[in-house]
Amino acid sequence: MKSAPTLSSAFLEPAGDFLPAPLLELRKQRGTALVDMPLPTRKTENWKYSSRHLKLSDELAATLPSTGKDGTSLSMPGYRVVFRNGVMVPEASDYPDLKGVSIQRFADLSDGEASGLAERMDNTLDSHAVQMARLNSARFEDGLYIQLDKEAVLDQPLFIVHEVTASSSGSAYPRIYVDAARHSQMTLVEEYISSGSEPVMVNTVAEFSLAEGAQITSVRLTLEGENVQHIGATGVRQAESSRFESHTVGFGGPLRRHDLQVRLEGQGAECKLNGVVVTQGKQHYDNHTSIDHVAAHCNSEETYRNIAADQSHAIFNGRIHIHQDAQKSNANMNNKNLLLSTGAEIDTKPELEIYADDVQCAHGATIGQLDKTSLFYLISRGIGRREANTLLTMAFINELVEQIPVEAVREAAQLRLNDFFDQTFEEV
Amino acid sequence: MLSIKNLHASVEGEEILKGINLEIKAGEVHAIMGPNGSGKSTLSQVLAGSETFEVTEGEITLNGENLLDLETEERAREGVFLAFQYPVEIPGVSNLQFLRTAVNAMRTHRGEPEMNAAEFMKHAKEVSKQVDLDPAFLKRGVNEGFSGGEKKRNEILQALLLQPKLAILDETDSGLDIDALHVVSDGVNALRAKDRAILMVTHYQRLLNHIVPDYVHVLAGGKIVKSGGRELAHELEERGYGWLGVKDEEASASSAASSSTQ
Repeated sequence: MKSAPTLSSAFLEPAGDFLPAPLLELRKQRGTALVDMPLPTRKTENWKYSSRHLKLSDELAATLPSTGKDGTSLSMPGYRVVFRNGVMVPEASDYPDLKGVSIQRFADLSDGEASGLAERMDNTLDSHAVQMARLNSARFEDGLYIQLDKEAVLDQPLFIVHEVTASSSGSAYPRIYVDAARHSQMTLVEEYISSGSEPVMVNTVAEFSLAEGAQITSVRLTLEGENVQHIGATGVRQAESSRFESHTVGFGGPLRRHDLQVRLEGQGAECKLNGVVVTQGKQHYDNHTSIDHVAAHCNSEETYRNIAADQSHAIFNGRIHIHQDAQKSNANMNNKNLLLSTGAEIDTKPELEIYADDVQCAHGATIGQLDKTSLFYLISRGIGRREANTLLTMAFINELVEQIPVEAVREAAQLRLNDFFDQTFEEV
Repeated sequence: MLSIKNLHASVEGEEILKGINLEIKAGEVHAIMGPNGSGKSTLSQVLAGSETFEVTEGEITLNGENLLDLETEERAREGVFLAFQYPVEIPGVSNLQFLRTAVNAMRTHRGEPEMNAAEFMKHAKEVSKQVDLDPAFLKRGVNEGFSGGEKKRNEILQALLLQPKLAILDETDSGLDIDALHVVSDGVNALRAKDRAILMVTHYQRLLNHIVPDYVHVLAGGKIVKSGGRELAHELEERGYGWLGVKDEEASASSAASSSTQ
């Protein structure tokens, strides 16, 4: 019998020794635990559609240089932090000293702060379900630690630009930890971009810990190139009456994977998770979400839409777990999918585990094509086919795009969508 | 203006239209009546370019141009407009955006500049009033949650905005109460012009009391079996389709229903 592939030891040689000692120590421990880690295969349930797209050659294990030119990114009417290949670039970042808001790169933390962070890192993610995030914990070279004091409110969105430069092969491991104290609020935008064309991997982790009444809006936009494997994980823990809102917009690539895990641990907590995925060519995009209703009286609302053109492949796996004590839970999950070509594939799988008896839980998933009658109606008014198809496809995701609370993200997404429509739809 | 010669069309191998001949001149209003299943809606759809039907024989020209060579959108830009029997609901596309895109596609085709959002909004609001449609409907999804009557008024609104050369009205009266019928009829009458042809397809005679046709044709079994002036409609109202050798179980019931509403 062929033995299962394991993680090459080349991946367990992290760079970035300027981190504070407690984080270096944590990283070392996590690395030791990954020796001979089995890599996901087709038989690994949560990677069954994506394992063959995960290509971890030794060249990808190399550390990418943290110097280089900035790529183009969103025009940002807010605060900005730029990471290049997983290391913060202070000269490209711009955010003021704000009362009650501490934004620090890992490298700048005191040993005391770093050991506090080290204790909390990885505590929002189930490492069995999100196995590839463990590689980030063993390899991160820098990161951003955001602490919101009690009742602190960030007045503008914080944009975190994660750029990967691919003039050589290698990988980057950006990382964020957000600690939101009682009734604090912020909107955080993660934008993933790339330059260069060599094969690279981005393995990224963002963690959010929300205390009572905290409100966090997280916006995530992935725009990297065709040479970038992107493996991302977002972990969220919510205390009483907190609210977490997530808006992800993802364009495909050779491998795009995002795991989003939310734990509703305090009564009255609520989350809203929106996602839009667009794939074309031979692209591959795999979203795995998981919502744990641990406490009673929590609400979750999840809406994901996939659009797949050409021979691309999109996957949505949505898990809702309602624990025994989570009475009066209210969970809604909806996933609609649009196939724009007969060669495209979409797989959708809702997974519901309900152990409480007094809950409201609804889920729905559909896969369809553009409606021919609607198309006929539009073109019978003189509207060209490209525009008619574009209107109908936008109609499928409009509701989600309009809800993104940051205009710059809506605009950047729309520009990329317009390219997609131009490449996908033709006039007759 | 419109010339149809020996038109045959089928769907999935079944022939529906079996040799239609029809000439409509500019300024004329023609009505096509006939029992259900006679091919009335098929004729409308074929004229607009629906891909559901295959034209197997014959020709259709509009002002000398062969329509069968043109795609649906090209026919529309040449001035063909079909008011749908069942207007399609398209949630997520606002009615305003739809209407403006259509009007601008026509303007671009004619070499005119596009209308900007503000200009168009003003224009669309005015025309909405003409068909008694609350301008609030402009902001809703296309036909989304509209009542039957509102959908039909939205069709006439589109015709008024697009100013077609040939307007085909497919069962525009179906599902309308008497007030809505008046509004829609007024809209259609406003479309009457000496450079425009109107083809009304209807099962019932009652619409023809409001929009008086110049010619009436009876379609049965995929062919026009009788043509005449407006008096033919009254004759059908009184005598049904039976005297023409045409079967229609619904005709007697429907004419009874339509007379009882008047």
